[in-house]
Amino acid sequence: MQIFFQTLVGGLSLGAVYALVAMGFSLVYRTMGLVNFAHGNVVMIGAYVASTFYLTVTLPFIPAMLIALAVTGAIGLVIERVLRPLENKDFTLMLIGTIGFGIVLEALATLIWGATGRAVRNPVQAAPVELLGLRIRTYDLVVLAVAAAATVALVLFLQRTKRGAAMQAVAMNHEAATAVGIHVGRSNAVAFGIGASLAALAGSLAGPLLYVSPTMGGTLGIHGFAAMAIGGFGSIPGAIVGGLSIGVLGSYSAGHFEGYSELVTFLVFTVAIMIRPTGIFGETTVNRA
Amino acid sequence: MGAGEFAVEELSVYYGGVCAVQSVSFTVGAGQSLGVIGTNGAGKSSTLRALMGLVPRRSGTVRFDGKDLTGTKARDMVRHGIGYVPEGRQVFGGLSVEKNLLLGDYARRRNGETRQTLAEVYELFPVLGEMSGRLAGALSGGQQQMLSIGRALMCRPRLLLLDEPSMGLSPRLVDAILTVLLELRRKGLTMLLVEQNAKLTFEATNHCLVMENGAVAMTGAAADLRKDVRVRRVYLGL
Amino acid sequence: MKLPDVPTGLRYRLAALAVAVVLACALPYTLGAYAMHIVDVAIIFALLALGLGLAMGIAGQVNLAQVAFFGVGAYATALLTTEAGLGFWTAAALALLISLAAGLLVGLPALRIQSHYLGIVTLGLALAFLNWIVNTPMAGGADGISAIPVPPLPGIDLSDEYLYYYLELTVFTLALAFGLFVVRTPLGRRMRAMRDDDLAAGAVGAEIPYLRMAAFLLASAYGGVAGVLYAGLIRYVAPETFSIANMFLLLAMVIVGGRQSLWGCAVGAVLLFLAREWLADFATYAQLGYGLVVVVMVVFAPTGLAGIPRRLRAARERRRTGTRAVLRDFQPYEPADRATAERTELEIRNISKDFRGLRALDDVSFSVAAGAIHGVVGPNGSGKTTLFNVISGLYRATGGAVELDGQVITGARPYRLSLLGIARTFQNLRLFEELSVRDNILVAMDRTRTRSGWRYLVWPVGIWRQDRELRRGSEALLSRFGITDYADTTPGSLPYGIQRRIEIARAMASRPRLLLLDEPAAGLNGEEVRQLAEIVRSIRGSGVTVVVIEHNMGLVMSLCERVTVLASGQVIADGTPEEVVASPAVIEAYLGGESMAEEPMALPTEVQ
Repeated sequence: MQIFFQTLVGGLSLGAVYALVAMGFSLVYRTMGLVNFAHGNVVMIGAYVASTFYLTVTLPFIPAMLIALAVTGAIGLVIERVLRPLENKDFTLMLIGTIGFGIVLEALATLIWGATGRAVRNPVQAAPVELLGLRIRTYDLVVLAVAAAATVALVLFLQRTKRGAAMQAVAMNHEAATAVGIHVGRSNAVAFGIGASLAALAGSLAGPLLYVSPTMGGTLGIHGFAAMAIGGFGSIPGAIVGGLSIGVLGSYSAGHFEGYSELVTFLVFTVAIMIRPTGIFGETTVNRA
Repeated sequence: MGAGEFAVEELSVYYGGVCAVQSVSFTVGAGQSLGVIGTNGAGKSSTLRALMGLVPRRSGTVRFDGKDLTGTKARDMVRHGIGYVPEGRQVFGGLSVEKNLLLGDYARRRNGETRQTLAEVYELFPVLGEMSGRLAGALSGGQQQMLSIGRALMCRPRLLLLDEPSMGLSPRLVDAILTVLLELRRKGLTMLLVEQNAKLTFEATNHCLVMENGAVAMTGAAADLRKDVRVRRVYLGL
Repeated sequence: MKLPDVPTGLRYRLAALAVAVVLACALPYTLGAYAMHIVDVAIIFALLALGLGLAMGIAGQVNLAQVAFFGVGAYATALLTTEAGLGFWTAAALALLISLAAGLLVGLPALRIQSHYLGIVTLGLALAFLNWIVNTPMAGGADGISAIPVPPLPGIDLSDEYLYYYLELTVFTLALAFGLFVVRTPLGRRMRAMRDDDLAAGAVGAEIPYLRMAAFLLASAYGGVAGVLYAGLIRYVAPETFSIANMFLLLAMVIVGGRQSLWGCAVGAVLLFLAREWLADFATYAQLGYGLVVVVMVVFAPTGLAGIPRRLRAARERRRTGTRAVLRDFQPYEPADRATAERTELEIRNISKDFRGLRALDDVSFSVAAGAIHGVVGPNGSGKTTLFNVISGLYRATGGAVELDGQVITGARPYRLSLLGIARTFQNLRLFEELSVRDNILVAMDRTRTRSGWRYLVWPVGIWRQDRELRRGSEALLSRFGITDYADTTPGSLPYGIQRRIEIARAMASRPRLLLLDEPAAGLNGEEVRQLAEIVRSIRGSGVTVVVIEHNMGLVMSLCERVTVLASGQVIADGTPEEVVASPAVIEAYLGGESMAEEPMALPTEVQ
């Protein structure tokens, strides 16, 4: 039982990172119906920028993170602008276009930071917390707290601000949104920017947990995407539940299947998505002839 | 032209090579209400959507209250005092009723007026007040239509464009819509009502256009047209 | 032997092909050993790209596991030769079967999910495969498996990469020819139709689930063959060859070349592979470059290199004002014997349909006599199209039953209903946009089941004959509907009225017993409406029962023997057109209120 809970706790911090990645995916999907396959690579860029300012420029961790947020936000705006002509058109093309951006970002990262990757020092040096016989790393708690704070901020933004409501309105019906005076293009750009900033948050938090390298984007991206799909496309609670489940699932399969954990994770994911394609919180969409 | 007058001249709309609206012109005086009736595919809805700038126009000018709005983008129409109730209601289904209404006010700077306007809309549609916390998508068709009208009223428009508010509603609900339209007319709101339901239109407006195949087939006072046998011919294909 | 007359265009193409073959055969004589090796690997990538092109460009199935099929083929060959000690060719045959099994496995999710979901699932499965080969001791982990034997071939030493080239060239040529054959014959045509519009493809009889599986089987077959060839060429396999980076490179190849053209896929693969090798010292810049190329291609040239000639030609044709195609008159069908007894063709029994609590159809019942033209009318939003969608299997009814000639067909899939003889058109036109008008017709004409596709492997001549038969039939149908001049254009560029007629022709191509027309007169001018009436009467005259949703009441009055009126999802009147328009409920639904019904109603006179 002890091991059961210890594994569970071990998966939560990475799960929170996946949840943040999934939230970014979700936000962009909700507003634009676009699945951004470059999202994982944006996460990677975020991790690199944050770690560079933290390790090389020796800024404190939080300001380094904020710089990363700004940089990736700008990248998000660029991606949105370039792919805008494809919005609401050919899905496959859009998907491939974002994959193209992913390739570009990975190459850029390799050019700037090299192919070898780096380990990021843990910014929280405090000793692990003992709770009910479980050992919890302090940094894990920080990750969970930051992820929770970001979620609350995002939800407040969407629920309480005019801009947030407008963004949701655009997603639901862009023509009616236009009629009430919302600038649809600008609203989408903001959504994309916020999505990319969430990616940076996930990336900078993941830095000390994982090894930062140009290829980390692929793995994080696909786990985040899996999290969103399991939770339900475009749903924020879905992203959280999905992210934590993928994290915990990975943690258990790492315990039981060791090297094969990814294999098990993706097989479970595939079966889950086939049983319920709309995810836990997703809605069935009506096909209109 | 007079203050508050809405004038459309020589409006044409093409989809691909197909002509949907052909040289339609009309004027709605301040405080007047104009109905546009016709069967499905007659070009009524295209006319309205082209006025709003939601579909591209081939030709035509749009003027309101002395200003030329021909080049104005759809999203800016509301800033010139034009409220739009789209066909098929198109409420924001995943948002609460109250949020839908508040989004109607999006284009204006927040000030004390918002609460007051909201109160007025709730007075006009008590059912929306009762359901203010409910998701718009969970409302019945009739309630969604009320919400769609209410949302358009939130920007305190001086001209209201309505696209088939009776669509898919039972006769009882159509009567409820009529009551609201008459109330708005009494308050002096300028209205353009596009409808398939001729009876509703004749009762709600002073003046009507009958459209057929993208062009204006007949015009006249609502009271005269309702007696005209030709209207029925257009509808029932006799 | 006297050669048949060959058209000039084809003659040029044959000449170009002959030159290409000669050049390909002569190529090794101009290359050094290293260059030869590069070309050998490039051909393997071209094979992979063909497979990916078939799945993604032709069948529209987002397949990001192509590299895993490649890996399965290569690793299976490696393990079966080194571990199980099988001969190379036995191992190769088994490896191909294993790849096909992997294709079935990866394709399974496609039955439930599409587009981005499918992309992520296939990518996830590719990662799972990588994870397995890196970790399993049997596969040698990151070191891979070496010492794969040279493929034996009597008299030819295949350890010589020059000779291996000819083996690859042969396999590649066969693979390309087979691929092109599939694309241009019934199976590929259905796949392309499914890619453009899977709903409409289902409605004309394409068995969507089987076609999706067939797409993945094809992709995995090409991947497996490429894997076997790779194992025989390099004689060493390691995980890095099958990485996700290579998957994306493969994707870039297909996009740059043109995903809808197999030639394009092959050319894109060779070009990009050579470019990558040429820039091997600047690998990262190369990666940056092809990423940018993909983005630029997607935005500006979505049809890739292969699509450029067609775009140029289209641009040239727009400028030219020469001979214009004309829509010719419809030639009526032979009237069939209409002495059939009073038989009910379609029976709608208490059908209800709910959408998330909203009742779109409420206990709808009526019947359509065989050989009738039956109208369904009603105000906007009254549930007419929903009813059609229930009848044609796009929606599952919440309650009630639909019977076709006494047989209950409720809940059957659209393709089954098509094979049973129901055809339909759509309110907003759902033609296959990227297919020529002729191909649109041919898809619907094909009445075979997808499972007869095994003949592609065993007896392609049979397929070829069947295709020729279909083409002959399609010419007759095209000329009957007067659209022969447009046979080779894509429908999207044609005027609306012609597209409407093409859609009716497509529906008739499946030789239905029941034809459902959803607002066939919408957007037509007066003359076109007159022609439509003539066409519908002739179709009925040939023995087909017609149900038509229409807003043009003049047309309904003159065309239909019986009319059912829906309002708010309920039947409010059912009878002859005269009875129906005199019904107060109908007048109320249309004009709103009995106040309008006071005037006496003149009976309609026959229009036209």
